[in-house]
Amino acid sequence: MEVTRLYSLLVVFLLAAVLGACVPPPAAPTQVPPTAVPPTATPVPTPKKVIFIWTQEFDTLNPLYTNMWFASITFQIWNCWAWDFDDGLNPHPVLVKEMPSEENGGISADGKTITLKLREDIVWSDGTPITSEDFIFTHKMVLDPKNAVATTYPHDLFEVEAPDARTVVMKFQEPFAAWQGTLWHGLLPKHILEPVYQRDDTLDNAEWNRNPTVGCGPFTFAEWKSANYARFVANEKYWLGRPKIDEITIRFVPDDASQIAALKAGEGDLGTFIAYTDIPDLQKANVRMVTAFSGYNEGIYFYLHPEKGHPALQDVRVRQAIALATDRASLVQDLLLGLTKPASTDYDNTPWVDPTIQPWPYDPERAKALLDEAGWKDTDGDGVRDKDGVKLELDYGTTTREVRRSTQAVFQQQLAAVGIKVNLLNYEPDLYFAGFGQGGPCATGQLDMFEYSTVAAGFPDPDTSEWYCDQVPSEETPEGSNWQAVCDPELESLLKLQTTQVDFKERQQTWWKITRMIYDKVYWLGLWQDPDIWAVGPRLKNVRLSGATPFFNILEWDVE
Amino acid sequence: MGRYIIRRLLQAVPQLFIISIIIFALLYTTVDPIAAMTGDRGKPRPETRKRLERKYGLDQPWFVQYIYWLVGNDWLMLDLDFDGIPETPGPRKGILRGDFGLSVRGPRPALEPIGEALPNTLLLMGTAEAAILGLALLIGVYSALRQYSIFDHFVTAFSFIGYSMPIFFIALFSLYIFSVLLRLLPSPARPLRTTEDFALALILPALSISFSSLAGYSRYVRSAMLEVLNQDYIRTARSKGLPRPMITFVHALKNASLPLVTLVGLDLPMLLGGAVVTETIFAWPGMGQLFIRSLGEDPAVVMAILMLIAVAVVIFQLLTDLTYAWLDPRIRYR
Repeated sequence: MEVTRLYSLLVVFLLAAVLGACVPPPAAPTQVPPTAVPPTATPVPTPKKVIFIWTQEFDTLNPLYTNMWFASITFQIWNCWAWDFDDGLNPHPVLVKEMPSEENGGISADGKTITLKLREDIVWSDGTPITSEDFIFTHKMVLDPKNAVATTYPHDLFEVEAPDARTVVMKFQEPFAAWQGTLWHGLLPKHILEPVYQRDDTLDNAEWNRNPTVGCGPFTFAEWKSANYARFVANEKYWLGRPKIDEITIRFVPDDASQIAALKAGEGDLGTFIAYTDIPDLQKANVRMVTAFSGYNEGIYFYLHPEKGHPALQDVRVRQAIALATDRASLVQDLLLGLTKPASTDYDNTPWVDPTIQPWPYDPERAKALLDEAGWKDTDGDGVRDKDGVKLELDYGTTTREVRRSTQAVFQQQLAAVGIKVNLLNYEPDLYFAGFGQGGPCATGQLDMFEYSTVAAGFPDPDTSEWYCDQVPSEETPEGSNWQAVCDPELESLLKLQTTQVDFKERQQTWWKITRMIYDKVYWLGLWQDPDIWAVGPRLKNVRLSGATPFFNILEWDVE
Repeated sequence: MGRYIIRRLLQAVPQLFIISIIIFALLYTTVDPIAAMTGDRGKPRPETRKRLERKYGLDQPWFVQYIYWLVGNDWLMLDLDFDGIPETPGPRKGILRGDFGLSVRGPRPALEPIGEALPNTLLLMGTAEAAILGLALLIGVYSALRQYSIFDHFVTAFSFIGYSMPIFFIALFSLYIFSVLLRLLPSPARPLRTTEDFALALILPALSISFSSLAGYSRYVRSAMLEVLNQDYIRTARSKGLPRPMITFVHALKNASLPLVTLVGLDLPMLLGGAVVTETIFAWPGMGQLFIRSLGEDPAVVMAILMLIAVAVVIFQLLTDLTYAWLDPRIRYR
């Protein structure tokens, strides 16, 4: 097509040249009146275009249908949350006038009713006003079983009413503490999608899912070419102001090494999931690194099923010995180039962690003493401790990621020094994270220790159900998420209590007890804090990135 | 000949049926699409898993799922709201009615992403295969005619370097040289919008594939040509005074092409699967990338790709046999 166009232009040009040669010479120039001002061309500003590199293509652009990280962060470019979070994880209103609170009447005294007051000037990118009816429609679509949405949480906990076009009232059965981190992550345009739903009886096949021409973010969707790129242009109707950047192209580059090459070549302006080992090279190419704490902390879970788990791990002293026998500070320094810190809890860098908690120190002698005290001694002189005929030999599994393999090797060596034999196992992520029904090694208790990064689904809210006793997977409840099979009634009662504590201070006190308990009993052993590492090209300026809603200040981003 | 073709096609039906059962059983017992649908870094919520498994029919044993895949489940009512009353018809029609299932990415019909990726793969692999064949014929014939010459030794050494290097190394090496250091060609960050974008982005992946495959092909041509050039009929042709180009390209090359045809016949259906490593490194939006992305999470798409390749293998094997008959008139099929 392009070549044909070029040939056509060439032919036109040649014809013009030939015809031009045949045209008689111009007459003598006429006198120009002295008052005439020669016309000056108005300079057309060059559009400011940037390229973001995503190593995974989003699976859908309907915010209801995915929890995929790359999809979720893209929603903040063209769709809208009711509020977003800055780089200090503080909430900022987007669709609402102010954050609901008890003081402004947004949260009822019993914590069961939350009222949103919508801004007057909010509009979809086609100019249609955003009203409470869009919220009601979105809620209805989430809960409709005919729609294969990724999750119904937390919509299954409340009913919603719209007393007027600018008010949304949510009524919960119980006080719902996690509202700030979980509510209204994306909105559906009722005027576009309701006719589709009425026609198809589902939104599963809606054209809008892949071609959302109407949105409510600072940019509007322009096109999406599968496995190639997606393009977004500045939304002229955005109520918080027009972005300084005119166009964002998200290019899908699935290979990490290719992403690094593209950033070094200066063709990509933003990339993420940068490996620690690539950072020095990128910095040499004037690529800046911005880290955003997104709630992820790498750590080890111990499989503590009372019948199926390893008997040694049932004793808290053995788990504490494992924590003391492994040098995580050196691991962070050597393997991660000192670019992050050891993790103490799964909630590091949030207000929910007991501030007195410090990472376990490296003290192999104390570890040996604890193992002796617990009765695990090397009785046969083979270098591996044992008790009642059972060897202290543990299976430690994780994915095939290089840094995890290296961590395993360090742990194996350091634990061998205190008489614990560790067998290392590695799996592809899809097999490793498979559920109980699919025979996943973590979910089915095939591993004594298993390592990965995790985060609460509603981050920055800490709420999680993965420590509940009824979440231990079994044949009857294969979908259970408590893969570590920890059933501690005291921990569970605290976790359930915090779900209802709408008052921040009260909830924080409960979380301090929770984090202290998980830490002391070593139900989870922190390895390192795992922030999102972004590579920002030299052209981009004013870039700040949040761990919860990365593009919270994208309106201010600019290019040199 | 017509009966032969029909017989071969009919034989293919049970073959494809058995292949589909094996692939399906392997795929659906090892992949957890719900984990992929509901989040890439966390675990799906239990109630979400239960609901989606019911919706996609994944709560059934694999052989029941296979029946749904084959003939659909729109003749069944599903209880999606778990109130004990089935109220929603199943969404699947089955491949016998042209429905290859729903890709969990979207969700959308599994054939849609394949339809988008296939032309790009054909462009890349077609270009690479044409370059491989053209160069292999030139190099192979020339090396056979000038056996043990400096050129023959040089080409042999060069082609073996290409053969012994893994494709990912060739691809990354060429990417760093031409895109990062010399900046002569675009990096994978450049979106493929225009014909020019595609043409420029095609160069490095096509070269990488060609470089790694050229050795094998050119050695085949060389050895086949050497064998044929020593045959009696070639000596006869020479003694009859036929021009050398005619002897080489008409009489010798045609017969020397038989092993090459076998090789190409085996390779062509695989072209549909794309080049997984090369497409991933160069972010080429083709079948290889689609396949690897879908492997752990999207069984409907993987199944459709594998069945497409299986059908292509059957068809290309048949075409290969027919080409034998054209190249060698002594071969007859009944």
